[in-house]
Amino acid sequence: MYGWAGQRLRVDLSTGTITKEPLSYEYRRKWIGGRGFNSDIIYNEVPANLDPFDPKARVCFGVGPVSGTAAPSTGRVTVTCKSPLTGGFGDSNMGGHWGAELKYAGYDQIVVQGRAKHPVYIWVDDDKVEIRDARHLWGKFPREADQMIKEELGDEDIHIVLIGPAGENMVRFACTFNDVWRAAGRTGHGGVIGSKNLKGIAVRGSGTVKIANPKAMMDVCNRLRQTFKPDPMKIGLYEFGSLCLINVANRDGWFPWRNFQGGAHPLANNMSGETHAKTVLKHREGCFACPICCGRFTHIKEGKWAGEEFGGPEYEHAVPTGPRVGIIEDANDIWHNARLTNDYGMDGIETGGVISAAMEWYEKGLITTKETGGLELEWGNAEVVDKLIPMIATRKGFGAILAEGADRASDKLGLGDKGHYYTLTTRGMTLPGDDPRGLGFGYGLSFAMGTRGGCDHLRSLCCLELSGALYPGLNTKILGDERPNKPVTTVGKPYMVFYEENQKATTDCLQVCCFTTHWSYAVLTPDQVEYLNAVTGLDFTEEEFQEIGERVYNLERAYWARQMSGAREDVVPERFTTEPMPQGVDFQTNVGVVFPLSEMLKKYYKYREYEPGTGFPGERKLKQLGLDYVAKDLAPLRSKYLSESEKKKKKYYY
Amino acid sequence: MAIMTKAQAKNFAEMDDFMLELCDFLKSKSVIDATTHRSILLKGFSRMVDCLQEKKVISAREAKEAMDKGFTSLVYALAK
Repeated sequence: MYGWAGQRLRVDLSTGTITKEPLSYEYRRKWIGGRGFNSDIIYNEVPANLDPFDPKARVCFGVGPVSGTAAPSTGRVTVTCKSPLTGGFGDSNMGGHWGAELKYAGYDQIVVQGRAKHPVYIWVDDDKVEIRDARHLWGKFPREADQMIKEELGDEDIHIVLIGPAGENMVRFACTFNDVWRAAGRTGHGGVIGSKNLKGIAVRGSGTVKIANPKAMMDVCNRLRQTFKPDPMKIGLYEFGSLCLINVANRDGWFPWRNFQGGAHPLANNMSGETHAKTVLKHREGCFACPICCGRFTHIKEGKWAGEEFGGPEYEHAVPTGPRVGIIEDANDIWHNARLTNDYGMDGIETGGVISAAMEWYEKGLITTKETGGLELEWGNAEVVDKLIPMIATRKGFGAILAEGADRASDKLGLGDKGHYYTLTTRGMTLPGDDPRGLGFGYGLSFAMGTRGGCDHLRSLCCLELSGALYPGLNTKILGDERPNKPVTTVGKPYMVFYEENQKATTDCLQVCCFTTHWSYAVLTPDQVEYLNAVTGLDFTEEEFQEIGERVYNLERAYWARQMSGAREDVVPERFTTEPMPQGVDFQTNVGVVFPLSEMLKKYYKYREYEPGTGFPGERKLKQLGLDYVAKDLAPLRSKYLSESEKKKKKYYY
Repeated sequence: MAIMTKAQAKNFAEMDDFMLELCDFLKSKSVIDATTHRSILLKGFSRMVDCLQEKKVISAREAKEAMDKGFTSLVYALAK
């Protein structure tokens, strides 16, 4: 077999059973790998009504057929579960080297189920798989536990997936790291891993990936590496990391100032990639086989936090616990908050989202110091954010309420509709730090439609509108029109979102980084098909490849449908559709803009063949995609969703 | 070969999002079949142009112009 390792490793922590399951040709061809394999397991093995923290729940780690090869950036891994934050389908993916190492150890996927009697970690040493005691690691930050495991196993080159204290405490938005700093941030799988008493998975692989056509593979990889050299997005990401977007966001008004009350701020450059590079950048870091190297390593040199070091931050990591909570004057406070969320192992986006929602509840008088335990939640109060992050991770005081995520916290505080107005979520998950009134209407549409709730750049970001203008002719090649490269327009956006969601799904099935494709445009879909075929020796066509993305997307959408989530939940926070964008800086380009979701939604449904009433994937489409069993599952639910009793329910999470 | 009127071409050219409706139109006129319809939606505009050129609905020059200028140019070519 070429490309794939050909087997899944399943570990049941309740029984201690370790099994290796072969993956058939038909199965691999249907799902490719990574996100596809994981979504299939979650759909089939985790029922809609199961508590995500139930021992029977699964958490999956998936890699793809090109993982560990010389194709651009093939170290990624998708982590998938039933999300404890949203209660629906949840996945997230991360870079680093762990994904490639798993492949070298001989596995395409790990599925973990059950619950250990005490904290453990899994040690995968090629064929040998052990469940080892981790009681001494419990409570440790990932950077501490990583070093302790390496010393214990006597191998510095091991790659380890770990959770932090937030995961152990089942914070609903705890995340997972590998190689200490590379995070799969979203949807709260860190809490699911913690609920299983699992601290991490250490992997050592001494094998290789068999390539069907080595010469063709080297030819395509060499060609693609040359195309990266002049790529404008690659250059920006290398020089300034994803913080290169700060000044762009500020100009175009999608910089999330104070929980999206505004979209630009005169001091935004304090935290730009350009400023970061001049002041606190220690070195750049790249993931496995990456031609971009967008990773940062930060060393704070001055002020209260001098001496602190950490990997990062990314744009989406720095913005939520920075400008979103009103911190902008001293960027060191922002870098410090990013370091804290890393150490405690929490999704920076939801952390900033829930704190900024609480700050707005406080501003509007919905809560007072009585509810917060004396904390004065004024915008920009860096001291209180510094206190709150550990309180959330350890579920102490007011932090225990915020540890539930923004929507649940609103309900626990009894804030009703007013509270939810300020949570800025879709399907129970806080939106990332990008305002669709500025970043783009395609992006906003994908917020409403994302199959894991409020999504970010790794799911369905329409780069044809973000960076399409840097690549003249590209929008025409794909969409037939250059006009969609303007962010604030509805022109061409429904088809753009349909196309990009499929493209991102296949990219996640391959488990390559989306920064290498349809972010920068050095690698296009035909190139991906070319290296997939060179590795596997198979004959995937571009249509088949994109159809797999469509299949994965529909399966995930069906998971939500099974939970009675459909058309009524295809919304974005009202702030974006009702509040015109205010002016923050003189040069801002989107003053007065509101986001027109409903104009695009109907047309998007037609591309997807979703039923107009329910928003569920249509039966014809599901059968076309080989998902007949899903069509059967949904058949009895269609009328239930349209019943009066269901219509009356307000659903923020499941 | 004209497969639409100038008025229809103008209507398409004014659309905010044309891809699905143009594919449906081409299918209704039996210019493309269901498989090609699906292939175009999965692969994008360049597939549509290639297909129309292969079927000699548009010339090589019109195909090039469509790829340079976009779908407006294409729909007016389809009205010639």
